[in-house]
Amino acid sequence: MKRLSELEYGESGVVREIRASQHELNCLGIRLKKQVKMITRQPIKGPVVVVVDDMEVAMGLDTAEGVVVEVEGHEGS
Amino acid sequence: MADTSKTVLMMGNPNVGKSALFNRLTGGDAVVSNYPGTTVDYTKGVLIENGKEYEVIDAPGTYSLEARDAAEGVAVRLISENSDAVVLVVLDATRVERGLYLALEVIERGCPVIIALNMIDAARDRQIVVDTHVLQKILGVPVVPTSAVSGEGVRDLAEMIRKAQKADIEAVRARADGRFDEPEQSGGCAGCGLCGGC
Repeated sequence: MKRLSELEYGESGVVREIRASQHELNCLGIRLKKQVKMITRQPIKGPVVVVVDDMEVAMGLDTAEGVVVEVEGHEGS
Repeated sequence: MADTSKTVLMMGNPNVGKSALFNRLTGGDAVVSNYPGTTVDYTKGVLIENGKEYEVIDAPGTYSLEARDAAEGVAVRLISENSDAVVLVVLDATRVERGLYLALEVIERGCPVIIALNMIDAARDRQIVVDTHVLQKILGVPVVPTSAVSGEGVRDLAEMIRKAQKADIEAVRARADGRFDEPEQSGGCAGCGLCGGC
């Protein structure tokens, strides 16, 4: 298990727990059991961008820290 | 059937083509761009369909009815202020699931709803198939595939606005779980709009 903010670039995981605002993430398409893939983690506490259902979703670092994912694998691995 | 409302409020996620569809429906000139967040205030226009005049309101995009910024606040205020309006929920056919969150919130509020499955051409290009009839059956409100860019389905959408339906969220939940055995509603109409005129 990892926080969403800790995923490596290209790494995928399945959402297991949402400690951040559930409502805010749910309406963006991030829910329990959803597969997410890390696209970008901007430096200096910048936004985190992940792909869910072929859609890119950007969120603040603090929000990403509140999402727990089970790591599934890495692109190309 | 009595007309319950003559106001049509367009709601949907950012960047699903609400303003483009608004322009198609009303001949308006709302600003359209290829990035989200273009509409930060609302635009009003008029649609005359089959002798009936509708005031159409193009609301800013929102992901939910719990506003997170000023533009979303405008959208949420509009739905509160127009409590008897028909809500035209615009979904991006290539991202149906995300838009359904808002659609269900609007249904839960008890508004009469009709859904435009916009960008259906883009979905087709990407080999995304949406079973409109099943979606309609589960949600209990009319679902019309449209493309604001080509104009496809816009005529049908305008005609179907009068068939917008209120749906019971618990019944929607049951149908989404595969339980379609709900008792017939008064008049025997399931409210799907499929019959073409009950």
